[in-house]
Amino acid sequence: MIIAIVLFKNKTVTKIVTISFVLLHIWLTLHCWTNLNKTELGYFTFNSLGVLLLSVLSFLTIPTVYHGFIYALKDDTKKYDIYHSALIALMTFMTGAYLANGMTVLWIFVEATTLAVAALIYHDRTEMALEATWKYVFICSTGIALAYLGILFLGFIYGRDDAANLSFASLINIINLANPLYLKIAFVFVLIGFSTKMGLFPMHTVTIDAHSVAPPPISALISTTLMNVGFLAIFRVYTLFASSSILHFMNNVLILSGLLSLLVAAGYMLKANHLKRMLAYSSLENMGLVAIAVGVGGYGYYAALLLLVLHSLTKSGLFYQMGQLSRVLHTFKLDECGKYMQIYPAGALVLLLGMVCILAIPPSGLFVSEFMIFKGLVLKDKWFVLITVIILLCFVIYAMSTRIMHILFSNSRIEGDSKAPEMVNPVESVSQFVLLGIVIIMCFYQPPFLVNLINQSFALLPK
Amino acid sequence: MVNYLIVLFAVTLVYFASAERLIIYTRLVGLQGLLLCGIAIFELKEVNTANLIFIAFESLVFKAILIPYLLARIINRSGVTKVHHLAMPGFYSLILSIFALLISVILANSLVNSFVNTIYMTIALFTMFTGLLIIVTHKLIISHLIGFLIIENAVFLFSLAIGNKMPMMINVGILLDIFVGVLILGFFGLRLKPHTNELTMLKD
Repeated sequence: MIIAIVLFKNKTVTKIVTISFVLLHIWLTLHCWTNLNKTELGYFTFNSLGVLLLSVLSFLTIPTVYHGFIYALKDDTKKYDIYHSALIALMTFMTGAYLANGMTVLWIFVEATTLAVAALIYHDRTEMALEATWKYVFICSTGIALAYLGILFLGFIYGRDDAANLSFASLINIINLANPLYLKIAFVFVLIGFSTKMGLFPMHTVTIDAHSVAPPPISALISTTLMNVGFLAIFRVYTLFASSSILHFMNNVLILSGLLSLLVAAGYMLKANHLKRMLAYSSLENMGLVAIAVGVGGYGYYAALLLLVLHSLTKSGLFYQMGQLSRVLHTFKLDECGKYMQIYPAGALVLLLGMVCILAIPPSGLFVSEFMIFKGLVLKDKWFVLITVIILLCFVIYAMSTRIMHILFSNSRIEGDSKAPEMVNPVESVSQFVLLGIVIIMCFYQPPFLVNLINQSFALLPK
Repeated sequence: MVNYLIVLFAVTLVYFASAERLIIYTRLVGLQGLLLCGIAIFELKEVNTANLIFIAFESLVFKAILIPYLLARIINRSGVTKVHHLAMPGFYSLILSIFALLISVILANSLVNSFVNTIYMTIALFTMFTGLLIIVTHKLIISHLIGFLIIENAVFLFSLAIGNKMPMMINVGILLDIFVGVLILGFFGLRLKPHTNELTMLKD
């Protein structure tokens, strides 16, 4: 498909190819649903967690491509083609990562996503875009190299005269025989390495810059589905090692990483002046909660996966709205925004609903997942973690709500000449209402097929 | 023979810690590429010949020739010859480097494995710590790049340690080299403007 885009150099052809890709992707997801736990081409298995996250990606490809067409409308043909080629490549690599059944194949696809994302972040060709792209490529490469070191340690555990196979199915049988120190080192390297993708402390800085500079539809994708790729890689290793003696160690490391992510997110959100950076820190906060949920275990496993799905829907809706906000108000800077409810009510309503959803205020579905995390913390007597999380979340709620309310109802803080607001068709906000509507419905009703799939995803983990 | 090459590799790492001129870094990166080529040839006796030739060729061409050449071009374009004045002085870097070596020795002796040579483990860990040290203590983009290249060499060394049993791990490590060489150095290194030595635009 990318070859077709490159050969024809025509916007209409590019659009047709991109839409065809979306349809193909949806077909693949349906195929995976009907063939759960089946292996194809030797390297790809349609297991529950992979299919769950693949479904989220498939669902989000539709609004991403739609908003991408609008965003890139005024680009020249070359830029337009590069954007859509890189987008197709990114979604393909993410799909490969979701379905990979071995550590090495997973690593290759995760590394490949860095290439595709770099091209997308650099779309606007500004100095800031170049800096963000450089930082992203460099830090992700460092992270990926560290993750590979972790995989090599797995190889040290496995290395024998028989088949050199790092598939999850073969590794799970020998983990209990391995030196626990090797397992701990492997886990720490994998966590640090893949935290560049998941946007978790300590390698979170790269995602903040990337999400704030990338085109809004791309920010929507990389702050949700790409973070899910990072989570998947870490979760796979966690599941592998869960039956060993280092489970307690892994849980402590995840909780610590989650708490530090929350701390950084809360601190920086309080001083954020750029709206997309604020949303990027919100993603860091949610990934921190996911890490804490996995570390807590029990109820936390379900909560983590539910939070991932709902966060993906909510955050992407907010980022799509950011694209419209920048067209209406011509800025992402908080000080230059104001009276959005008066100028563009449909978009303002999306922002308001999105704020309620992402802050896990009922009737947001995220409230259910965060409540389950708190329940898990109470049941495991982790009172210090619980109190710290609640305090930090209060800061996050304060930071985000004051900023959103200012944008919606207050005057701009900068006086003087400013460009007249551009009118945007309210129909463009429909996709965001649909996404947020699903999140709100999930607060009251979670479909059985989703519940089953999530439960199957952590079936191998201790209760 | 392999042990001599590995120890020589460690000596280059100590030199990295104390050097302050970027051209020295470039030459050391090339030297490390040559040493890794030699280690691969002497160590990988059980790998099939075609794969061995590919690995030796890649380490010679990419690590020993292409990457140092691209680094030299970037240094010439940027006009910067020394590390940033705010970077950690060579003396303190050297002390930290020695600590890193001690930690590597202790860790490697804790991670005794029946088919991985302890010297391999020690020097590979030391290489990784040196790379991280350079990234953390230096300010220029080019210094960070060199730190990353050193981490890459650590990955390559680790993968050579299990290369006889799992040759695919080395091939995957080579993918990382090609990724770095083509993307980071070939594209970004030449696109970044000469004055862009520090990344200061994106901040809160």
